[in-house]
Amino acid sequence: MRLDISGLSVRYGAVEALNDVSIAAREGCITAIIGANGAGKSTLLKAIAGLVDVSDGQISANGVALVDKPPEARHALGIALSPEGRRLFPELTVVENLMTGAIRRTDRDRVAADITAVYDLFPRLKERRASLGRNLSGGEQQMCAIGRALLSRPSLLLLDEPSLGLAPKVVGEMAHAIERVARSGVTIVLVEQNSRLALSISSDAFLLEAGRMIMSGPAKDMLADKRLQDVYLGT
Amino acid sequence: MLVQTLVIAATSSAYMMLLALGFTLIFGLMRIVNFAHGEFVMLGAYAVYVLTVPCGLNYFVAIPLAGLFAGLCGVVAERLIFRPFLGDELGAMITSLALAIILQGAVMIVFTVDQLSVPRPISGVLHFGSIYLPNDQIFVAGSSFLVVIAFHFLVHHTRLGLALRAVAQDTEIARAYGMAPSVILPLAFGIGCVLAGLAGALTVPLYAVNPFMGEAALLKAFIVVVLGGLGSLPGAMIAAVILGTTDAVISVWFSATMATLVSFVLVVIILIVKPSGLWGRA
Ligand SMILES: Nc1ncnc2c1ncn2[C@@H]1O[C@H](COP(=O)(O)OP(=O)(O)OP(=O)(O)O)[C@@H](O)[C@H]1O
Ligand SMILES: [Mg+2]
Repeated sequence: MRLDISGLSVRYGAVEALNDVSIAAREGCITAIIGANGAGKSTLLKAIAGLVDVSDGQISANGVALVDKPPEARHALGIALSPEGRRLFPELTVVENLMTGAIRRTDRDRVAADITAVYDLFPRLKERRASLGRNLSGGEQQMCAIGRALLSRPSLLLLDEPSLGLAPKVVGEMAHAIERVARSGVTIVLVEQNSRLALSISSDAFLLEAGRMIMSGPAKDMLADKRLQDVYLGT
Repeated sequence: MLVQTLVIAATSSAYMMLLALGFTLIFGLMRIVNFAHGEFVMLGAYAVYVLTVPCGLNYFVAIPLAGLFAGLCGVVAERLIFRPFLGDELGAMITSLALAIILQGAVMIVFTVDQLSVPRPISGVLHFGSIYLPNDQIFVAGSSFLVVIAFHFLVHHTRLGLALRAVAQDTEIARAYGMAPSVILPLAFGIGCVLAGLAGALTVPLYAVNPFMGEAALLKAFIVVVLGGLGSLPGAMIAAVILGTTDAVISVWFSATMATLVSFVLVVIILIVKPSGLWGRA
């Protein structure tokens, strides 16, 4: 699914979280959104999923305008969000949380196989499958939130800091998993604090600063950029 | 005596479960303290009266129809009356109070304030040796438990149930996964009202039918739900058993007044120890 955002502005009362942001994500590619705390990255993903009101600008998926659609209609078009803070359903078990991702699917007979596939991706989840969402560790919640998003078989997957809270070894596995999902044709928008990791697996990247998009280009160019290295990549 | 007390306790617990589950389901999803909940119990009871006495339908056929009728009224009420107050707890509460008064008034106009009764569909007693169990009580207890089990199955083993729980826990994320409140909320309200209507329909032969019967039912639902924790389904089930049993035992061995008194004292004590209720989270 191709995503086009143009002139997007979002405000929370007096706070201007996004200001005239234009971004495109190509079909089947990983697009990284990087930036400091409070730059507006999570707000951007929420705006795409329909969880915040947009004050100006356009968002379209495969040419379909999204701005006036409620979140459930955007989900029906194939958009899935693994949100900031994971937001699992706290009183549902891991399996039930995963199943909420698939709740609107019509190919019911394939859901079980997809749950198994998520367990293969994150074996830890299988061990914890009967635990309630609120009793999972931060990393386990992260895996479950991503699993829930995958279970909806999205065409556009929005990931908000998927590496947060994961052990270094698992971060690598997560990165491979994201690449694999993209290779299967899913468009991914990846928000990450770990900019180096995000840029190393992405095709394109956008840098946000204080609600504005100040730099964009191929991810490998950004990775090599001297200014970016000083400020965001910590080398 | 012991077995009789147990049957009375079971009847009373099951009845309280029916009342409380619907009330707490509606609160859990919509944050509406539905003061009209008792009036849906009344609608169920009057529906049974109309279907069996003037229309001459069989009582056992009338029960599910009465539940369905109360449920449909609930769906309509949600769409027309409560929808504009979504997210406005106080507004919804006042609206529900108004709805209660309107429904009482409407029933008074149509049926007057007279006590109505439905011929006892079940009579006789079961007796094993020295133990006598009235058949109608066994029927009420048994069918109420069946309804509770069916409701439990719906909530825990169907896609609709999963959506109900998801919306109750995080409406925003539930929407992002395709669960539309415009579909789920009227259904939830309707299901809560089906339970209330069934409670009214099942107990028609035991209790009197009048326009004010909803008040006692609301009070019962309220006390159970406060004890169990507002919005909690397991809390409502456990609290219904605790209060139903306390009520039955004390009524049988002492008096009904004493039973009510002890129930309320019990609730106050538990709330002092755990203000959010047995199953509630602060
Ligand atoms: N619900 C809200 N109400 C008011 N202001 C908000 C709200 N959510 C975010 N903001 C503000 O909007 C700006 C952008 O926030 P956002 O969460 O999008 O940043 P972010 O780039 O995701 O940051 P982080 O890396 O810390 O997650 C910040 O200044 C933040 O304080
Ligand atoms: Mg963020």
